[in-house]
Amino acid sequence: MGWIHDGLQSFLELRLLAPAMRMDGSLRALIAALLLLVALQSYADGPVVVVMSTASGVDRLTREEVVNIFLGRFRQLPNGQSALPVDQPTDQGLFSDFYVQLVDKTPAEIRSYWSRLRFSGKTAPPEQATSEQDMLQFLASNPGSLGYVRAGRQTPLVKVVFKLGD
Amino acid sequence: MLLLASAMVGPASAMDFSLSGFGTLGAARSTDESAQFVRDLSHPDGLTEQWSLNTDSVLGLQADLNIRPEWSAALQAVSHYRPDGGYEPEITWAFLGFDPNPSWSLRAGRLGIEFYMLADSRLVGYSYLTVRPPIDYYGTLPFSYVDGMDVSATRPLAGGLFRAKLFGGVSREQTPWDQWQFNMSGSLLVGGYLDYQKGPWQVRLGQSSVRFANDLPIEDFYAALPEATADELRVKDHWSHFSSLGIVYDAGPLQTQLMLSKTFNEHGTFEDTWSGYLVLGYRVQDWTPFVGVSAAKSAPANLQYAIPGYTDTYQANFHTDQRTYFLGTRWDFRPGMALKAQVDVIRGDPSSTFLYRWENEEWDGSMTVFSLSWNFVF
Repeated sequence: MGWIHDGLQSFLELRLLAPAMRMDGSLRALIAALLLLVALQSYADGPVVVVMSTASGVDRLTREEVVNIFLGRFRQLPNGQSALPVDQPTDQGLFSDFYVQLVDKTPAEIRSYWSRLRFSGKTAPPEQATSEQDMLQFLASNPGSLGYVRAGRQTPLVKVVFKLGD
Repeated sequence: MLLLASAMVGPASAMDFSLSGFGTLGAARSTDESAQFVRDLSHPDGLTEQWSLNTDSVLGLQADLNIRPEWSAALQAVSHYRPDGGYEPEITWAFLGFDPNPSWSLRAGRLGIEFYMLADSRLVGYSYLTVRPPIDYYGTLPFSYVDGMDVSATRPLAGGLFRAKLFGGVSREQTPWDQWQFNMSGSLLVGGYLDYQKGPWQVRLGQSSVRFANDLPIEDFYAALPEATADELRVKDHWSHFSSLGIVYDAGPLQTQLMLSKTFNEHGTFEDTWSGYLVLGYRVQDWTPFVGVSAAKSAPANLQYAIPGYTDTYQANFHTDQRTYFLGTRWDFRPGMALKAQVDVIRGDPSSTFLYRWENEEWDGSMTVFSLSWNFVF
């Protein structure tokens, strides 16, 4: 939902700023350039999708299942197999967008959440991949594992099991 | 299914070792010298009008060993203000965990105790919003860990998650009482809860009990009383019971917690107490301002063999009748670090003394507490 919200916000800003643009030519050009930049940025970021290995035997997950798995509440796939989530904390934009789009929580809130569970000896946080390549390799060798990428960046070895824009 | 799951995990059946830690550097002061505010009853003394680092400062280190997918082990040592007034580190967690499948979890060893919801992470300031867990609610709990075991089961139910947990063990702690130490070592603690979580909602019903292994260190007082009277007051081999209800609503920027508890004692010393709190927080970028209210009210047991002037004076030591209005903010100013500031306005009856240390005859039941803290995880 987060990216829809952002898009809506850009749209509203455009509408609100439009009268101001008429006032001055150079200001108008500057604002137009800035808005174009913002628009390109959000296009480049886009929605995040949850992916699993094509060998996982899982076709589709619900939002609740993805939340339960990534937040460590219940790590079981619909087929009964254990689920193993993988985070990508090195890509801060992706990490942030994933949790904002999933549960509307900031990276600080996610860290705070895990500090409670970690230091009370409960569930371990997701595996930490060092890059997208690292995550995809992990997924390929662990059919029960889940990762996330920007929509459109998945490789043929993985399939989308949940779209966060939905 | 279990065997299949293990076989399919393949390379993920690996061994991970990690070291991590948490800490708080907290400074606090009160506006009153006639009673000392403590974070919980494990502290031998508390706040005065001077800023103090003792109330909230803590440093914890943890080593985790995960042997996926089933086994885990953790060791946690914490240094914070102790019943004897020192900072000597103690082992707060040391357990071996076995999760045969995603539904079941067993742990044995030294375990933090979930007497109330969130009670097992009270020292991890980075994990919650307020400077410290509301003391009207958590302050009477001197127990933080037991040597024992727990088992929990989780299953999906009606679009949410249902969880049940049972725990039991023996306390190894003590709590200061006046100039003495009340030794709780050997006391039996047992309990459990039922928890349901769906979307932003989480509701938990908990029930815990403790059977004290020792009496309060005031044998001279008991010996001076008639035996029947002393027996009504002794806590040794008697139970105290704690019932609790927790409701959490956590949706995006909004965080809400409502907790209620009722204690019931099978002896005439600690008073049966109602307590509760409500806290609301709303995130605005890196800031999360919060407001809340907490309260506790107790009543002395009716003694069959009361001795006016003695037993009522004794029981008054364990009385609570107060409420606290608090507001503050948390600022997540950089990854893994948060600053917090909070004001607590306490309004109570002058008879409300159980949650304080060293109160004198000028104590009127009301004070204000100012707190600042720097919280981190690494």
